[in-house]
Amino acid sequence: MEDTLKLKAEKRENSGTKVSQRLRSQGKLPIVLYGHKQQTFPLAVDMHDFVEGVHHGHRLMELEVDGKNETTMIKDIQYDYLGRDIIHADMIRVNITERVTVSVALDLKGEPKGAQEGGILEEHADGLEVECRVSDIPETIEVSVDDMEIGDALYARDVKLPEGIDLASDEDTLIVICRTVEVEEPEEAEALEGEEEPSAPEVIGREKEDQEDEGEQEKGGE
Amino acid sequence: MALMPKRVKFRKSQRGRMKGNATRNNFVAFGEYGLQVLESTWITARQIEAGRVAATHFLHREGKVYLRVFPDKPVSSKPLETRMGKGKGEPEFWVAPVKPGTVIVEIGGVTEDTAKQALVRVAHKMPVRCRFVKRRHSL
Repeated sequence: MEDTLKLKAEKRENSGTKVSQRLRSQGKLPIVLYGHKQQTFPLAVDMHDFVEGVHHGHRLMELEVDGKNETTMIKDIQYDYLGRDIIHADMIRVNITERVTVSVALDLKGEPKGAQEGGILEEHADGLEVECRVSDIPETIEVSVDDMEIGDALYARDVKLPEGIDLASDEDTLIVICRTVEVEEPEEAEALEGEEEPSAPEVIGREKEDQEDEGEQEKGGE
Repeated sequence: MALMPKRVKFRKSQRGRMKGNATRNNFVAFGEYGLQVLESTWITARQIEAGRVAATHFLHREGKVYLRVFPDKPVSSKPLETRMGKGKGEPEFWVAPVKPGTVIVEIGGVTEDTAKQALVRVAHKMPVRCRFVKRRHSL
């Protein structure tokens, strides 16, 4: 069972870019709380505590707002343009016994057999949508890729999920494929280099215009 | 062979501006590791090609290299010793305008150490500072 992180949150009176930037400079993180058909609140929590909680894999958080405790789950996180710092988070109200649909990261374990024959593992999906109780949300889902040979593919339906957790994603979702790398043969590359490069791209509509101009000139000549 | 569009709507373009940071193409989406630029610049088709060659040469036959930028902007210039006027110059080369945060190259199917070494070689071919980034698997 996942631990619940307890955080103190204060209501935000004003909203907007400048106000949020000021909050962040004070070491606070703007968040929004919604769900269960109740009122939406813009809140602020301590940046350090929240970020540390996220890095330790906490999804569930108990927010204390005006002396009232709310059990919440992280719905979404926004990062800055470099993907380094958290700038905003969406929190959704949940009951601890409620079943929810969440995205859980996949953890690929082992080295595929095909890798020894020159194959590579191409990941097509980061995570899977699963339906489970709030208290049973796994941090990651482990998937073994040891038995994969070149040409083998692993689909969502092949992943063994822990008890009490159901797959919510499409069963045919491709997760990972083991295949060889298509390498450009040196001869082909040389042949390509030998070909004359087009110096300029074709201009769309230019031929039509030229033909029309020629047509008009011919008419004029008659 | 340097990258260039096959067909264009207009032969020449104005210079434009590169304000702000990247709000799209700013995370690793295809491979496992990527190279993110930290400044805004024009990356020429030659620089992209040089980076690609450096990475593929280092990786031998392992892994896959994904190019996330395409030079679709023509840059024109006037010939030397020409008087001003007489219209805009002819297109000379092609560039991809990038903003801080844009992931320009990605690598998949290799270990982190190998990817890092390959991407350092790509970074050396680029006209701006870059950083190594990994794919984010969870929140």
